[in-house]
Amino acid sequence: MNMAIVEEKRTVSEQAIDLEVNGEAHRLSVQPQWTLLHVLQEKLGLTGTKEFCGEGACGACTVIMDGRPVLSCMMLAIECSGKTIETVEGIAKANHPLIEAYIKHSCMQCGFCTPGFVVTAKALLDRNPNPTVDEIKEAMVGNLCRCGTYPAHIKAIQEAAAVLKVTAPTGGARP
Amino acid sequence: MTGDEKQRMLELFDNKRADKYPRETYDVIGKRGVRRTDGYEKASGAAKYTVDVQLPGMLYGRFLTSPHPHAEIVSMDTSAAEKLPGVRCVLRYDDPELQNEESLGGHELNSVMPLPRVAYFQGEEVGAFAVADSEAIAEDALRLIKVEWKQRPFVLDVEKAQEPGAPLSNPENNPESNMDTRGIYMEGHGDVAKGFAEADKILEFKYTFGLNTWAGPERPCGVWRWNGEFAEVWVKQQRPHICKRAISTWFGGLAMNKIDVHCLYQGASFGGWSQMAWNLGGTYCAAVVAKRVNRPVKWLFNRREDFYGSNMDAGVFYIKVGAKLDGTITAVEERGVVVNQAMPVFGIAKHFLENTRVHHVHGRTEAVWVNKGPTVPTRCEQNSNCYSLDLVTNRVAEALGLDPVEVALKNDGAEGHDIDWLNERKAELGFPVTDSLRVCVEKGKAAIGWDEKRHPAGAKKLPNGKMHGLGFTWTHEWDDSAGTSEIGMYVERNDGTVTIFGCRGDGGQNAETAYCQIAADELGFRMEDVRFKHQDDAGFFTMTPDTSTNLSVNGWATRHAARMLRQKLLEAAIAPRGVTQLTSFPPAFPGKRAEELDIKDGVIFEKANPANRMTVADFVGPSGAQGPLMSPVGEPILAGKEGLDYPIRFTPPMFEHGWQVQRGTYLGVRLRFCRQAHFMEVEVDPETGEVDVIKVVTVNDVGKVINWDGCEGQAYGGAIMGVGRGRTEEVVYDQRTGIMLNGNLLNYKIPTLMDVGEVETILVESGMGYGPYGTVGIGEDVATVVPALISPAVHNAIGTWVEGFPITPDRVLKALGKA
Repeated sequence: MNMAIVEEKRTVSEQAIDLEVNGEAHRLSVQPQWTLLHVLQEKLGLTGTKEFCGEGACGACTVIMDGRPVLSCMMLAIECSGKTIETVEGIAKANHPLIEAYIKHSCMQCGFCTPGFVVTAKALLDRNPNPTVDEIKEAMVGNLCRCGTYPAHIKAIQEAAAVLKVTAPTGGARP
Repeated sequence: MTGDEKQRMLELFDNKRADKYPRETYDVIGKRGVRRTDGYEKASGAAKYTVDVQLPGMLYGRFLTSPHPHAEIVSMDTSAAEKLPGVRCVLRYDDPELQNEESLGGHELNSVMPLPRVAYFQGEEVGAFAVADSEAIAEDALRLIKVEWKQRPFVLDVEKAQEPGAPLSNPENNPESNMDTRGIYMEGHGDVAKGFAEADKILEFKYTFGLNTWAGPERPCGVWRWNGEFAEVWVKQQRPHICKRAISTWFGGLAMNKIDVHCLYQGASFGGWSQMAWNLGGTYCAAVVAKRVNRPVKWLFNRREDFYGSNMDAGVFYIKVGAKLDGTITAVEERGVVVNQAMPVFGIAKHFLENTRVHHVHGRTEAVWVNKGPTVPTRCEQNSNCYSLDLVTNRVAEALGLDPVEVALKNDGAEGHDIDWLNERKAELGFPVTDSLRVCVEKGKAAIGWDEKRHPAGAKKLPNGKMHGLGFTWTHEWDDSAGTSEIGMYVERNDGTVTIFGCRGDGGQNAETAYCQIAADELGFRMEDVRFKHQDDAGFFTMTPDTSTNLSVNGWATRHAARMLRQKLLEAAIAPRGVTQLTSFPPAFPGKRAEELDIKDGVIFEKANPANRMTVADFVGPSGAQGPLMSPVGEPILAGKEGLDYPIRFTPPMFEHGWQVQRGTYLGVRLRFCRQAHFMEVEVDPETGEVDVIKVVTVNDVGKVINWDGCEGQAYGGAIMGVGRGRTEEVVYDQRTGIMLNGNLLNYKIPTLMDVGEVETILVESGMGYGPYGTVGIGEDVATVVPALISPAVHNAIGTWVEGFPITPDRVLKALGKA
């Protein structure tokens, strides 16, 4: 890369975006090359969203955008204006039963990948309140855990689903 | 000082025998369902890792890396990089402040250049360290550096590197040849020639073991901030006290009490990065720049850069084994040549020495240097050792038409002695006597269905067209290391909760919870009232998680501290309190002796009269209390008013510290008693060579379970990591260019949730560990032993041995003559 290209890259002006993150509205000035992950971590201090592989192969950076799990390391922040984002911090703040189930079943070892699992599992339970074991596996297969905690996640997600069934007014999914 | 407990603690140092003072009953230790102390932080995203550290004004540093496998910098132009807006400093290899070797970490302290000029592998950090307002700007700055490289010849292959005339991989360190003459390790006992003469059958085979790596989820990184003359350091490290020791030697010497170390949660590296001789190189360079620009600096690797370090037992191994027809092994002779060992080797025949009755054993391990990254213990360095024992057991069984389980049982023992001899030693040293391997294999065989499903190799084709196989392997359990540990323990004023002090890297084993369980049981406190404050340096040098010695060293120190603190509490409870120039106040339990009191759930009470009780919180009293207001002659004033009831709590600080010194089994001073046995069921597709792992059964004699979640997590987690290492994980270099091809998680395949079938974990509690209450380590075992298990399972499926490791589809097809 020569100086001119670097300079050109650096002088592209920042743009304002609006993001709703965990129920709070933010107006942010972002550079075009910034990922959503970068903005969450560096600008909003939401470091629960983690970078493991950095290229969409591990799920550690998963957030829920407009109800769907997305990989925030693969999203440019500038493309996310107007979106509603839910991170692990929001899920924990809402006392989602996944959190307590994850602790009870010891789903974490080093814990670095755990938030990504929690977010992916939350997105699963939002769209499918009664997942089978195979459905859980299919939903979670994109999340990598180097410590090998996988068996515990299946138990925890099943338990959280059972708790939700009891607590949800209609027995269905939470909004 | 509380005499009895201290005496016991000293007596238990250098422990080579059973725990002399276990508990009669356990309330929290070994209880299922103990809530892990780091659970909420890690599940909620609140847990902070070094890579998460953000400080006001913090800058970001990145290293230049070599594009060539072996090259030196002739000249370098950094002017364009320095002019880039946002760049605050570009540190160069020829900087006057970087011309000395510095102590930059490793298993012990190693002196190496912080910013070298010569690269010995593609991807090595050399030449320049760019520091900028953001990581992206630092990256851009690196791209603007112009380097004139002088490329050198390189060698990658372990066998080619041994040939005469091979290119020298590191002429500065090894000018004569690529063999590291300092790295030769010989071990053995008996006379192998005699042993082979006694044999009915002699087998000779060779195997190779590929490079795999830890792929830790948190990138290597670190942060340095100067607070005036004080250094504040965040280390991504499982060995914070070694880091502090190294840091204290920098810049002409930094006083230990002026270095503040933070060791936050660790996105694990399983030994790995923490053992590297240069692992503080980034921190050193960050410190130099932080001083110059007067701002904190965080250095980081990118994901690919983490892949250059790998396991230290990659190499080529030549084995000769003799056996009698009944499966009795008469001799084992082994030569191993391992790659790029940055640490002293431990020997390749060690498991035959420590774990079998084989009379005649000889092992010779040599180290060869090639132009790949450094290798260090990855989960554990015993992979090839376990693989050797595994292959010898299974190949002997195959050659003689025996069940490998029976071959293992027949040869189980230690130091050339059989199991009867070993059982006598167990009794002599005060351990309960259990035939650990027999217990483990019986449980494992039942769980996998060994007797029902076992069949001759290559004999069972399934309806889905795949070949069915069963595999078995075994070895001893380990908690190897020599280690020292210091633990501080303090009862907090106001509420009587307990804080344990001792800076240590958390690798996710749930060890902190286990220490809290020990403290809670020994103190008589509630589990939820105990916290291990492990992330900040409090001056105590607590044993690292290395070598599975979490509990067997720190567990002792925690127990010693807790027992002494409990005794201190009880003795204080019967003594006059608040002795001042004016007066003293009556004891909390007047007229009682310490042994008449007990503590349970944080309440001190009289055993014979439990109604006579006081909470520990009331006993230790509030912080900052000045006591009751007194007149000059010692009379309470404000009588009848609020002041009179002001609590009389002049108790001394309730603080204790325990410590432990332990010699390691590596020095051969402790016999191995506990065993592990693992079983695997596979299906192999003969058309594609793919191996499906249907079920793994892990059986570990852990001596005594302190924390079930921790032990089981290490077992099933280790099994899953082990399957990955045995089946798919290999760091691949291009032989022509010397460039690593798969330094990322797309092309280096670690297991997903769907890649490993059912994992059944079985724990055995024989009480035969050297740790407190009879514990033995489990952190490294399963992930290190299970990779070897795939080989006999696949052999049983396809009827032939697969050459090379891991057992990838191409190697399976080659073994089948299809590739």
